[in-house]
Amino acid sequence: MAADLVFYGFALLTVLAGCFVVFSRNVVHAGFALMFTLLGVAGLYAMLGADFLAVTQTVVYIGGILILVLFAVMMTRVPSQNAPRRGLDRMVPAGIFAVAIFALLYKVATGTSWPTATPGEALPTAKLIGVKLMTDAIFPFEFASLVLLVAMIGAAILIRERKVLPAEAPAEEAATEAPADEPEVTA
Amino acid sequence: MESITGLLTKIFGDGMSPMALLISGGLTMALIMSLVMAMCAIVFTWMERKVAGFLQSRYGPMRVGGFHGVLQPVADMLKILGKEDIIPDEADKALFMLSPFVIFIGSLMAWAAIPFAPGFIASNLDLGLFYIFAVSSAAPAGILMAGWASNNKWALYGAARGAAQMVSYEIPLALAAIPVVMATGSLNMNAIVDAQGGGVLNWYIVHDPFLFLAFCLYFIASIAEVNRGPFDMPETESELVAGYHTEYTGMRFAFFFLAEYANLFLVSCIATAVFLGGWHPIAGPVFLPGLVFLIKAVILVFLQMLVRWTLPRLRVDQLMHTCWKVMVPLTLLCVLGSGIWMMVSGELL
Amino acid sequence: MSQKLVANLKSAFGERLLGASSAHGDEVVVVGREDLLEVARHLRDRESCEMLLDVAGVDLSEHPSLGGSADRFEVNYLFRSLANRSRVRVKVRVEEGQDVPSLSGLYNSANWAERETWDLYGVPFRDHPDLRRILCHHEFEGHALRKDYPIEQGQFCTVPEKLIQDHDIERAAGRADSAAEELHPSDLLTVNIGPSHPATHGALRLECLLDGEIIVDAKAEIGYLHRCFEKEAEDHTWAQVMPYTDRLNYVSAMLNNVIYSHAVEKMLGVEVPPRARVVRVIVSELSRIIDHLVCVCANLVDIGALTNYWYFYNVRESIYYDVIEPLCGSRLTTNYSRIGGLAHDVFEGFEQAVERNLEKLATAITEVTGLIARNRIFLDRTVGVGPMTTAQALDWGFTGPCLRATGCDYDIRKDAPYLGYETYDFDIVVGTAGDTRDRIMCRVEEMTQSARIIRQALQRGLPTGPIVVDDPAISLPPKEQVYGSIEGVMNQFKLIMEGTKVPAGEAYGFGEGANGELGFFCVSDGSGQPYRMKVRPPCFPIFSAYPEMVKGLMIPDAVAILGSINIIAGELDR
Repeated sequence: MAADLVFYGFALLTVLAGCFVVFSRNVVHAGFALMFTLLGVAGLYAMLGADFLAVTQTVVYIGGILILVLFAVMMTRVPSQNAPRRGLDRMVPAGIFAVAIFALLYKVATGTSWPTATPGEALPTAKLIGVKLMTDAIFPFEFASLVLLVAMIGAAILIRERKVLPAEAPAEEAATEAPADEPEVTA
Repeated sequence: MESITGLLTKIFGDGMSPMALLISGGLTMALIMSLVMAMCAIVFTWMERKVAGFLQSRYGPMRVGGFHGVLQPVADMLKILGKEDIIPDEADKALFMLSPFVIFIGSLMAWAAIPFAPGFIASNLDLGLFYIFAVSSAAPAGILMAGWASNNKWALYGAARGAAQMVSYEIPLALAAIPVVMATGSLNMNAIVDAQGGGVLNWYIVHDPFLFLAFCLYFIASIAEVNRGPFDMPETESELVAGYHTEYTGMRFAFFFLAEYANLFLVSCIATAVFLGGWHPIAGPVFLPGLVFLIKAVILVFLQMLVRWTLPRLRVDQLMHTCWKVMVPLTLLCVLGSGIWMMVSGELL
Repeated sequence: MSQKLVANLKSAFGERLLGASSAHGDEVVVVGREDLLEVARHLRDRESCEMLLDVAGVDLSEHPSLGGSADRFEVNYLFRSLANRSRVRVKVRVEEGQDVPSLSGLYNSANWAERETWDLYGVPFRDHPDLRRILCHHEFEGHALRKDYPIEQGQFCTVPEKLIQDHDIERAAGRADSAAEELHPSDLLTVNIGPSHPATHGALRLECLLDGEIIVDAKAEIGYLHRCFEKEAEDHTWAQVMPYTDRLNYVSAMLNNVIYSHAVEKMLGVEVPPRARVVRVIVSELSRIIDHLVCVCANLVDIGALTNYWYFYNVRESIYYDVIEPLCGSRLTTNYSRIGGLAHDVFEGFEQAVERNLEKLATAITEVTGLIARNRIFLDRTVGVGPMTTAQALDWGFTGPCLRATGCDYDIRKDAPYLGYETYDFDIVVGTAGDTRDRIMCRVEEMTQSARIIRQALQRGLPTGPIVVDDPAISLPPKEQVYGSIEGVMNQFKLIMEGTKVPAGEAYGFGEGANGELGFFCVSDGSGQPYRMKVRPPCFPIFSAYPEMVKGLMIPDAVAILGSINIIAGELDR
């Protein structure tokens, strides 16, 4: 009973914050609302006994991706002149598209036979996942780390191409020079 | 939490339903943790001022409360509660009001998995250490929120610096703790502390040279993670006025302040539990475990204060350089090195 | 050497040199305004005058001997050659509305100095890149130092000046475009450092254009602390100006007192009694120590090393309470020197108090250098930050520790000794790179040298004798005479009401201030009040270079540099 309440709490948080993300006209507000959506999802994971997933969700999505999204939103320039128009010619196709997708999802959701299991004692999952990653899933695991390595190298290369402004101020070279000698004393 | 629920059962008898017990126990624990946080701010602001005074050949607070101004933090708290809560006209009001609480709650949640004494842990999570790092990773979002909502360029700069710094330093912070997890074979905080019982030689800090290095790196990264000198980029009072909380006053500012000192204590508590044997004394049987734990943590806090008042501040690019080019490779080396050490010494296999 | 320079000028320009004279040790030549550029180029290239010290306008309209002549204004250019140890003052006379060619193409220091002359006198400078007001507000109407501008007429100016205009932003973005990276004007952010900012230590304003944390463009605005010192000086007697000099560089007020009295004594042609000379040396060097202590400790606070602040500041306060306050009754605004000597003799136990504080100073220096000298973070923050070559520094008009940090061993106490500095044994401290670390370390070492000078003075013992010249036209009579005899009363009355009559003429009196060359260009019309008093504050030219120094650096660097060049708003804005 109480577990249901907690579930509805998390679900409500997720859905409401999600709606806010979609309907907010302020991109930054939408970004911050995303944080609550992600938290709600993490809570749902935790309720399902997937504690590792819940914590990972927090680290990766809130600690990493959300910050990245916020940075991107805050630091990019505002497209002032070509703000999206809100004409009927756009709303009608968009509406049709949305209804079609909803219909499809509804059909899938109701047509699928969802297997259910009785919730048992939540077992620690970290060890299980760790063992799986290092045995059965070793190839995808290593492949993913390779992809991440490539991404990191790419990011490093992108940052290296840094202009120095203005051209006559070689600030970075100067800063790395060895410490000069002690101030001399001349008579 | 077991001890709390046990206590509650004793008080109210067995008539309570398990769920009511869970909820009331959780609430009690949350209350205790909030009090711990508030106490952190009160005790450590006074301590910080006395330590700074000691280092700077002056006294620090001397008047309020008789002996060495012990009641100064209380007076400060009353003052700050009486201040006007100013919200700038151009600020993003909703976010401006929300952000101190986001930061505060993020900090509060992390306390749930700190083992102060045997059985005295709010939630004995299987993923305890991972959970703490995960919850603290939400703090940059709060800082960004504050900086953006203030609609002040200095605040935005402070927030951008702070978020970048905290996101970056989380990596060496977590990586430095991994050798310990490897040695214990668990992320559970209680298990980590239990594994270090039986005298100082069993503490992970002296387990092997790589773990000692890992402790040093953890200590440095933790200073950066809580934004204190010499890594106080988000505030840098001589550059960014006051950084992300430039526009905050009164109660809302107090929440930032509270979170800062709570985090200071939090990272010290984690270091105590993970590297310094938690509640285990230097030698002999477990004796007054909570006190032992506190003493160790406060010594670490003192060290952090010593560092803050001794060193100049890094520049923001040097800070990032230190993180990515020095600390991350070194922590990776620690993981590798202590892994090899454990293999050779036969602990792992 | 200066005579040779003038002779060379005469042979080079012949008839075009409208006049040459020599008074009080200053060589003066008068040239036509159309010849000025050529003369300046000659001075720079042939006579190795590396430095344009200052530009000083004078309004001649009420001058008893020159007033009523065809030309209303006179613009004085002070050139100095370090290599030849010579200096010359070049005068140009202009009628109202006539312009003068700008020297900003030849000397960087001319830029702000000419702006000041334009601001206060309305003499326009042809081809000046940025002829805006500098000390007065941009909405100010009229020119404040003209004789016909009433001293009591204030103006209400309210609208802040926008320093970085849209076209500056577009230009900066365009420069980035050429570096093969797309940058839009809206990617750049303008930020005001000051007028109220923790790093400005006074009211200054630097508007920065930032690309991320990097400063791509910067413009400075000064004048927030403009107190019309020069206008006030024209309305007071020579002796009454003394307390105003306290407020110039309020950190080392003694030095201002001493150098101001030195300048006036130069015009009067009086020699100060030996006891006063030695006491002046001691208080000057104490004052220099205080100035360096404050500068270095505040600089270290800017870098984040807060603890050093107390180590130095305690010594500073100790000197103030033990020596300066018993000596003259106040800590900051000393008002101790007098024309022809000192206000009163030193107190009992002066030597011991000074000696005690020198010991404290030595301890503090050891402590602070121990904390910073080999500290990796400190070195990372300061080495190579805001470097200057000697040539650049001279071009900008740097003097004092900021110049010596570049490796140039120029110190007025050695180069043109006054107060008997030639009899003391001390070293000129020089750096190598002229960066922030060198500036800090030069100041630290200079304190030790100042302490050496003071110790030598104390070892010799203070000479006995009067502390002020015995000349009723200059110094006030002793109180017994004022209350006891009619001559004393009359003497006191005349000196207070009319002031010391300084013979008509002009002179540039200068000395080594804590932050560089502090000069007073005085013009007297023979009355008891200065006709014109132009201060050459050391940090005015230094601060004019600051916006250029910070370009391409980050905000933390800008803050570190600002601390190291020791800008004191009191003398910057006067």
